[in-house]
Amino acid sequence: MGWAWLILLLATYPWLFAADLASDFTASSGLVIFISGACIVAPCRRLRRWQSVPFAACVGFLFEARRPIPDGALALFLAGAAIFLTSDKQLIRNTPRMLRAAAASNAAACLIWFTFAAGAAGQLGGAKFFSFIPQLIIPVVLAAVTGVVIYIPVSLVQNAAMDRMGIPPASEGPESP
Amino acid sequence: MDQNRQGARASYIALTIFVAIWILLPSAVRRFNREAFSEFQAPALHLAGKGRDLAKFWELKSRSNEEMAAAGRDLARINAALELKLKSMDDVRRENVRLRDITRYKDTADYLSVVARVATRDSSSWWQRIVIRKGRNDGIRPGSPVIFGITVVGRVTAVHLTTSEVDLVTSPSFRCTAYLEGDEQNRIVLVNGMAGNSLGSARARISVIPYDYFQPAGQTTQVFTTGMGGVFPSRLLLGTLESGPLSAKEANFKEGQLIPARDLYNLQEVSVLVPLHQTPGEALLQTDQLQ
Repeated sequence: MGWAWLILLLATYPWLFAADLASDFTASSGLVIFISGACIVAPCRRLRRWQSVPFAACVGFLFEARRPIPDGALALFLAGAAIFLTSDKQLIRNTPRMLRAAAASNAAACLIWFTFAAGAAGQLGGAKFFSFIPQLIIPVVLAAVTGVVIYIPVSLVQNAAMDRMGIPPASEGPESP
Repeated sequence: MDQNRQGARASYIALTIFVAIWILLPSAVRRFNREAFSEFQAPALHLAGKGRDLAKFWELKSRSNEEMAAAGRDLARINAALELKLKSMDDVRRENVRLRDITRYKDTADYLSVVARVATRDSSSWWQRIVIRKGRNDGIRPGSPVIFGITVVGRVTAVHLTTSEVDLVTSPSFRCTAYLEGDEQNRIVLVNGMAGNSLGSARARISVIPYDYFQPAGQTTQVFTTGMGGVFPSRLLLGTLESGPLSAKEANFKEGQLIPARDLYNLQEVSVLVPLHQTPGEALLQTDQLQ
């Protein structure tokens, strides 16, 4: 099904929007609830590579659209992450591995947008770099934790959408050579 | 397995080529892409904002008649006081118009006030912004000042069809000139947002404070806009200068921190002052976009 990735994106969007609303509540603390990195893991298990890549890129573009992040920084990173995950499905074979992948993918994506946004705000040059490092820790750790917490409910919705579209389930066992 | 590896390698090469093309693409294409994804999200933002308004409406509707009567009585008192104030302002306005006529003073800073509801707030170390539920369709233009009462909230940075993004006073991209209360010589200081710490409260920096300026003892120092630069009208309140010793960064100047006049993350409604005439800043923006 060629448009499966687009339908899946529409199924995932309420979660992305809910994360934006949660960021609204945490705005006074300067925290962003980021889940885009975790949202690409479950589709990468079942979709084909050429479907996973546009899905991941669109998830990235949706996050970037209303924030001062350089165009495409997060989207292209997520596209790369989708290629990586679909190429080595052993990494997301079972639930503990998927949770680990969700945490890693979300934290890495958060690191990317945070760094690029800092660069765009001119906060990476010279002495400012040393104040940038401590600021990085809280959002990245929060992203890793959020990735783990949010992964199960998001993947339930995504898997239900993929089941309805007739996408074959991913194999739980080790891949045959 | 080999096929899978080959496919992955080909995908990485394709992605690298796409990244190169993406970087080389004209900025208009990237802007169109950003705009398309923003517009996709606009209905959800409106829905969330209207849902919040509806919840507020029902909350107010559930209040007792006694409470409403008390609120009405308070409002009537405030109205009476304001009417009296308006009357006294009328004489001042007439005198002002007369003096302007005599001196042939041309006032270019005319604004159209557009009231907008806040849809969402978004904040990180590198930006503090709100999204409002009015956009290009309502005449809002990039660079327009955003206020609440006489308090400066920020400035419009991006305008979409039905929504706009506003950079708050504390956002690192915000800059404006200001006067400090109590400085009889009206020397100009600079206000610009600071990159905030995660979990910390957002502040702005006041720089170029003259070395011989001292805060009045025992009172807070208010910071007002100058009206220079043609963006903000003059005498709008930016906030207060944080009390305590001011740090000296450069030889003849000191630096302090600005505490915003309002809790910027609890605003429900703001006013966008859209200039009736094109400002020099807008002309520059247009030139940038044409290039």
